Parts: sequence; structure tokens; C-alpha cells
Amino acid sequence: MDIRISDDVLADDAEAVITVWFVNSGEQIVKGALMVEIMAAKVQYEMAAPASGVLNIVAGVDAVIRKGDIIGCIVVG
Amino acid sequence: MNDTNPRRLTIARAMAEAVQQEMQQDPKVFVMGEDIGALGGVFGNTRGLLEEFGGERIRDTPISETAFIGAGVGAAQDGMRPIVELMFVDFFGVCFDAIYNNMAKNNYFSGGNVKVPMVIMTSTGGGYSDGGQHSQCLYGIFAHLPGMKVVAPSNAYDAKGLMTAAIRDDSPVIFMYHKGLQGMGWLGTEAGATVDTPKASYEIEIGKAKVVREGTDVTIVGLAMGVHNGLRAADQLAARGISAEVIDLRSLVPLDRDTVINSVRKTGRLIVVDEDYQSYGVSGEIITSVVEHDYSILRAAPKRVAYPDVPIPFARPMEQFCLPNAEKIVAAYDAM
Repeated sequence: MDIRISDDVLADDAEAVITVWFVNSGEQIVKGALMVEIMAAKVQYEMAAPASGVLNIVAGVDAVIRKGDIIGCIVVG
Repeated sequence: MNDTNPRRLTIARAMAEAVQQEMQQDPKVFVMGEDIGALGGVFGNTRGLLEEFGGERIRDTPISETAFIGAGVGAAQDGMRPIVELMFVDFFGVCFDAIYNNMAKNNYFSGGNVKVPMVIMTSTGGGYSDGGQHSQCLYGIFAHLPGMKVVAPSNAYDAKGLMTAAIRDDSPVIFMYHKGLQGMGWLGTEAGATVDTPKASYEIEIGKAKVVREGTDVTIVGLAMGVHNGLRAADQLAARGISAEVIDLRSLVPLDRDTVINSVRKTGRLIVVDEDYQSYGVSGEIITSVVEHDYSILRAAPKRVAYPDVPIPFARPMEQFCLPNAEKIVAAYDAM
């Protein structure tokens, strides 16, 4: 399952930065657990895991991201 | 959150969780400061608290440190356990009478009859070009004045345990957290500060240093960001076959001199890393602690890697030039 920056987090033209992944690539994560923080204009937003499975990070810490970007995926199963 | 999930926390979250857990079990604990309510703290360390505890216990203040730190002292003497945020330690000047003449001394002035169980949490450090009045550490100033305990964690695990201990302590405690370790992107990111942190409440004893890497050839002593620079230097030295021991002081008052002395007795060499100004400060105190105890355990003159005695420059190249880093620590070793 792709982890995508959803429409309600960032404005259309806003850039954000990944500040913390709370779980490493290759580790198990549980649906609903705190997964990643991103920051835009000095405001932090957190995202919870959308599913349980193994996390695969695509956009690492300090990566610049926009609305709709895929920042990682969770391999379910 | 699921308790079985791997759980790393930033220092910011670890601080907030310690405060949250103490507030849940002790109605006397409350928080005051600038932007600590709806915003959750400029450095993220009070996020979620207003929603859980409301505005009576999570009190946003005006920009008036003199007033609200004084109010904290009064509340503490009246039986409350306030946690008060001084957003940038650099602005201690306007409120220092409340801190060092009242908070630190009233227990003594009253012959022990009045306790001041108060925590001041305050941000330190620079590295992100915020100028000389938003970038200082000032560890030495607070550690110099008696009557206050002083802690400065380097990672989330220690931050949570030290904050819990600070809130429960009947003495006033200055909790100095480095902005570059908070896990806030715009302040720079030190990944090593975001570590596994238990959800259940626990204390770390104030006044105990920790050997975070064992070694035999040189002792590198640091606190907060200095620990991470020390660990990077230890990696570089290891690549050359040199074994460095790294000590995280964690507390400045009380100061765990024994851990430092025992390490230097083994290694014979001492480098102190301090992001506060060099002269009249922490680095001199650490070195003196060893020399006063037994200068014969030193096989080389001790070195310090500290901030030069100049106001912190705004310009990025100039600030970065002044800051301690791993390369300067390695160079200090090479000069021994």
C-alpha cells in the first residue's frame, strides 16, 4: 500500500520536508501507529500508518515533498 | 498507539510524554509559557497537552518572562509543581532575578521551610543561523549558580527519564534541551537523538553521567549535541585504530565527576566538547575535576573543543566555522 501525502495535509503549492521517520525501512509497523512527521512552514504534521506490514521508505529525512507525493509503502502480509 | 510497535521518539515528543504522564497522576503539575498551548511549543515539546488538560493547566502566557517565571516561583512555594518554559535560554536576562535570587535560593533563605519544586525548560544551541540571541547554550551560567539542578539530555530516552525526575524533584531544575536534537526539520536534524523510548513512565537519576561508548585511548566528554559530535569523532578515530570512550554528562548539577575520573584513569587522555563559550565554563570545570583529583592519571595535557569567546555570528559560514564538530575533536586528539 502506497503512503501518499494526502490532500488535507498540504496546500496545493506548498512544499514540506520529512523530519522524522519513527520506524526504519524494513521494520514492521502496526496500522494506526505514529509513522512519520513532515514539516511545512515550521508547522509539523504527523501521519499514522495506514496499514500493518513492513515499511519501505522512499522519501528519507530532509526530502522535499508535495501534496500527492508517494513517500513510502507498506508491504502487507 | 499500539504498545507493541517499535517506538522511537524525538526529544520533543519524549518531553511532552513525560509531562503528560506526570500531569495525569499529579494534579499539582501544570505548564506555563509562550506558545506552549495551541501551538504545542515552538520546539514541539508540549504538543497535545492543551487538548488533554485544558487551558487551566496548560497556560499560554504573554511575552513577559519576568512575570510568568516569578509567578511560577510563587506557585511552587504555594505547593504546586509548575513547569515553566523560557523559550530561548538567551532571554534569561529579563527574568534572572526570579530564577537565581528567588527560585534557587528561597529554600536556603527560609531555612529549608519553603520548597520550590519547579522545572524551567529552556531551549539551547544554534547551528541554523538564528543569530547571537537565539543560538547560545549558556550551560555554564546556570551550572555556576548554586541552588538549581541542571540537566541537558542528548536523546529522547534520557529526555523522558530526566523530565520525569525533574518534575518529581523538590528542588528547582533547569531542563536545557538543544534545538538541534528536537527532531524539528528547520532546526537541523540529529538522527541519533531519536531513539527507542518506553511508553511506561520511568526516571533517570539526575546527576549520573553515562558512558555511551567504551574505549581505551582517549576520553571524550560532552553533553547534548556534543555527545553526537563526540560519537562521530570516535567513529573517525576508530577507523585509524584509536579507541575513544565517549561520556554523556546528562546532568551538569550535580556533576558526575567520578564517571569522568574513572574513564580518564583508564585512557589517560581527556577532550571536553562544549557548545557553550570556552572561557569560565563547563569545559574548564570538567578538566579541573580531573586535575584536582589526581593530575598524574593524565598522559597528555587535556584539550577542549568549545565555542570561541565571541557572540555567535548570524552568517552561516561564520557560525559553522565557530561550532564544535567531529573534525575539531579529531584534530584535538592529534594535537595531544
